Amino acid sequence: MIQAVNIVPLFVVVALGGAFIVSLLGKRIKAFPDIMGSLTTFVLFGLSLLAIRLVNVYDVLVYSVGAWKPPIGIAMVIDGFTSFMLVTVNLVAFLIAVYSISYMRQFTSKWKFYTLFLLMVAGMNGVVITGDIFNLFVFLEIASVASYALVAFGTERHELEAAFKYAVMGTVGSLFVLIGIVFLYGYTSTLNMADMAMVFAQKPTSNLVLLVSVLFLMGFGLKAALVPFHAWLPDAHPSAPAPISAMLSGVLIKSLGVYALCRIFYNVIGLHHNLSGILMFLGTLSMVIGVFLAIGQWDFKRLLAYHSISQIGYVILGIGLGTPLGILGGLFHLFNHSIFKSLLFLNSGAVEYATGTRDLQKMGGLKERMPVTAGTNLIASMSIAGIPPFNGFWSKLIIIVAAVQAGFYGHAFWAVLASIMTLASFMKVTKYAFFGRLKDKLNNVKEVPFSMKLSMIVLACICVAGGVLFFSAINQAFLQKASGVLSGGLSYASEVLSALQQ
Amino acid sequence: MSLNAEFFRFDALSNFIGIFVCIFTVLVFLYSLGFMPKRKGLIRYYLYILLTLISSLGVVFSNNLILFIVFWGFLGLLLYLLIGFGQKTNTPATAKKAFIIIGATDALMLLGLAFVWRISGTLQMDAMRITLSSKVAVWAYLCLAVGAFAKAGAMPFHTWVPDAAEDSPAPVAAYLPASLDKLLGIYFLARLSIYMFRMNNSMNIVLMAVGSFTIVAAVMMALVQHDLKRLLGYHAVSQVGYMVLGIGTGNPIGIAGGLFHMLNHAIYKSCLFLSAGSVEKKAETTDLEDLGGLAKFMPVTFITFLIASFAISGVPPFNGFASKWMVYQGIIERGSSGGFIWVIFLVSAMFGSALTLASFMKLIHAVFLGQPSKHQAPSTEHRDVSPLMWIPQVFLALLCIVFGVFVYRVPLKMFIFPALGERVSSSGIWEASPATILIIVGIVIGIIIYFLGTLSKIRETESFIGGESLKDNPQMRISGTRFYDTVKDIGFLSVIFKLAERKLFDIYEVGAKITFAFNKFLRYLHNGVLPTYLAWCLLGMGIIFYILFK
Repeated sequence: MIQAVNIVPLFVVVALGGAFIVSLLGKRIKAFPDIMGSLTTFVLFGLSLLAIRLVNVYDVLVYSVGAWKPPIGIAMVIDGFTSFMLVTVNLVAFLIAVYSISYMRQFTSKWKFYTLFLLMVAGMNGVVITGDIFNLFVFLEIASVASYALVAFGTERHELEAAFKYAVMGTVGSLFVLIGIVFLYGYTSTLNMADMAMVFAQKPTSNLVLLVSVLFLMGFGLKAALVPFHAWLPDAHPSAPAPISAMLSGVLIKSLGVYALCRIFYNVIGLHHNLSGILMFLGTLSMVIGVFLAIGQWDFKRLLAYHSISQIGYVILGIGLGTPLGILGGLFHLFNHSIFKSLLFLNSGAVEYATGTRDLQKMGGLKERMPVTAGTNLIASMSIAGIPPFNGFWSKLIIIVAAVQAGFYGHAFWAVLASIMTLASFMKVTKYAFFGRLKDKLNNVKEVPFSMKLSMIVLACICVAGGVLFFSAINQAFLQKASGVLSGGLSYASEVLSALQQ
Repeated sequence: MSLNAEFFRFDALSNFIGIFVCIFTVLVFLYSLGFMPKRKGLIRYYLYILLTLISSLGVVFSNNLILFIVFWGFLGLLLYLLIGFGQKTNTPATAKKAFIIIGATDALMLLGLAFVWRISGTLQMDAMRITLSSKVAVWAYLCLAVGAFAKAGAMPFHTWVPDAAEDSPAPVAAYLPASLDKLLGIYFLARLSIYMFRMNNSMNIVLMAVGSFTIVAAVMMALVQHDLKRLLGYHAVSQVGYMVLGIGTGNPIGIAGGLFHMLNHAIYKSCLFLSAGSVEKKAETTDLEDLGGLAKFMPVTFITFLIASFAISGVPPFNGFASKWMVYQGIIERGSSGGFIWVIFLVSAMFGSALTLASFMKLIHAVFLGQPSKHQAPSTEHRDVSPLMWIPQVFLALLCIVFGVFVYRVPLKMFIFPALGERVSSSGIWEASPATILIIVGIVIGIIIYFLGTLSKIRETESFIGGESLKDNPQMRISGTRFYDTVKDIGFLSVIFKLAERKLFDIYEVGAKITFAFNKFLRYLHNGVLPTYLAWCLLGMGIIFYILFK
């Protein structure tokens, strides 16, 4: 136990250290940023797999930073939910780092890119791993600020504009989170989340809890891009370089938004009944509005960005149901979405890399010239549209079944409708970009370099295997543990505190 | 059978469908060897065909509803990929449309599955016996049936079938929309209506109404088409009506008729599509205006096409007649319990059959008889297509005859009646064999009389001026494409045809219009102005406050 706990801070330390070294040496040594970026994220991915194993043995790992015992010092906690998120974040980060090796050649100063990228990963890992609510805010800001800078990385006019909008709205969201934390601190006199949950369990419910819930809903909802807090996303995500778009849509909105929202609502302050209804409503609204906005887009990446809003809606709907099945479906969809959405953004990046355009109307017949991109894109499209046997099908199925089981027929219907529209809009993408006759202008198009192909193929394989994984023992270790933490609700506190005693 | 009864189940109904799935795959595979060469990505083509076979067998034999939907949904993707092998300009759009319609109904089936689970608590298909007593049960049935309708191509989910027929390669059209999708769609409808749900009277009437409407509406559309494969596509829709109608009758003879018609349809329709493919290969077009007089160039294809046309039109003694006859009997038997609405169903079924015959007369005239068109590819040699292509055609045509003539001894006894597992009694099974002999005798006597009549009084005259060589007067040629265009001028029908031309009955086009209108509105709201976006956030927060604190 004692040794195992030491793995916990590594998730932040390794990422931060990698960022530091890249910024120090990356300018001097040419291939260094590439190697360091992939290596760091690979180590992190390996560690997160180890974390899964450890959680299976010990259930909860708690690390006290600087040997200050919580609740005075800062605690870092790895439980089922955390390890699940860690795997998701670091797996995607690793594949995107590999992809970036070739893709980022178009840009100057790669080392800045990798520094910011690793900083963002550090922030996300920190948010997921921390057991201290103010610490959560700090990591949230680290990741957010890094992402503002990355959105503006191309420094073109529209990129700067998008980054500015994103920064303003993101800061507003962060501020509401901060106000919420201040209120909580004033009410409970502690910042440790487990401790705070204990205090809440003893005190009678007050209106303050509701107030804080709304503040968090707005703040984290904005990070997660729930309608009506979503408006920054369709500008910010397409403007970033493709690997960063994949990172933002794939994992950032989930670790900063969905994870934090769930952790605090389920494990700390307890989910108010009305709030669950609101979550489900917002989820359904995002699902429908996102997809209807997406279907009319001609910009490949913008279309994908709107779909992120829609898919986050599914996740929130599933988790908001509050039944074990619903939470399981929501989390599974979270994982699946981070896989197929990153893949889709990487595809769009590959197309842009090869043809220089993001406008679907200027493409056509690319599957002859870029078979790998076209094939992986088809797989990802099928996954997001929920066509069996790809992974998206299973999670959507679970969410719909869970909604019907809980008696929410209307929500289930909207979920089905959004799924149909998703299929339609991705059919549009494949038709205009990859099918049909090759345009004369595109005759010289070549398939992208190896490192980009490799990432796309690995992600596509996960999409295909995702459904099978669901029926294997991995599911037990991976998903069930995570959803168990959320369905366990306030027992989080006692588990963390008892782990501290050992 | 003990092969994990939880997931897979082999009963007479699924065995019989499974056998024919395999037969059609083999035939289409053979035909493709002759039809597809010189195209790119043939390995993928045969891989998809193989995957289609596997998933179809999965659909037929799975006993768990989730497993079923996995195979079923995957077939939609395969259909999309296979249509993509077509080489027309419209092929990508058609593939997209087909997949969206199929995928949409598959998504509805998920909802149906969720409902079923809520009602019965099991997903095992043979353990269900749901009564349509509650609203949820009705919705569950409808959601699942919609999937079957779209797959088989019943109205209003039919619009992908004619498009796919026109724009996909002929073997694909013969394989999926014409045979496999029909087999599977109607199989699932039968499984639903006979085993999984307990039908009630009003649901039966809904089914029958859908069926008879499909028969008449689709055949009317078929009358005015001028593309060979598209016309066949509309017939593929129209014939589904008989199957749905037969299953909708809810009595054994009707259901047996529906299933039998499904089988027959798969046989003659794939024969028709394969023959059409041969025509396309030979003449390099499927536009009826440009075809004509092909009978002497491709005699085998002509004969197989003719036989299949008789079968689909319900001319005795071919198989189409036998199954239609059973469907009619089913309707009549249902009518014996009272009510008048069955008369409408019966009349529309018979009327549809007559119109089918009419449109095939036009088709045969325009393609095989009449005069060769001037657009005809000059390389038309006096040779039929390769044996790889005509052997499947001939085999299917022979099946049409065998299943028609020995209707009671072969198909019904071997496949249909065991599948239903109950004794089918009827007011009079069609005894085909003596009738066939009578028909043949009649034809022979007719020929003898004809020759006796002409032998004695042959006279030679100058030919009629209009009969002079067409090579000099190409404008005198009548292709027959517009035989029935006058039907468009009949009062209320003219309005309907005009609306149909504007695609107002196409659920896909209408859905797209609504979607894009909504999309336009939402895009208008997203004007890119930062203060507006911030205002939304605050507004949203205010509303949530209000809801929580009220």
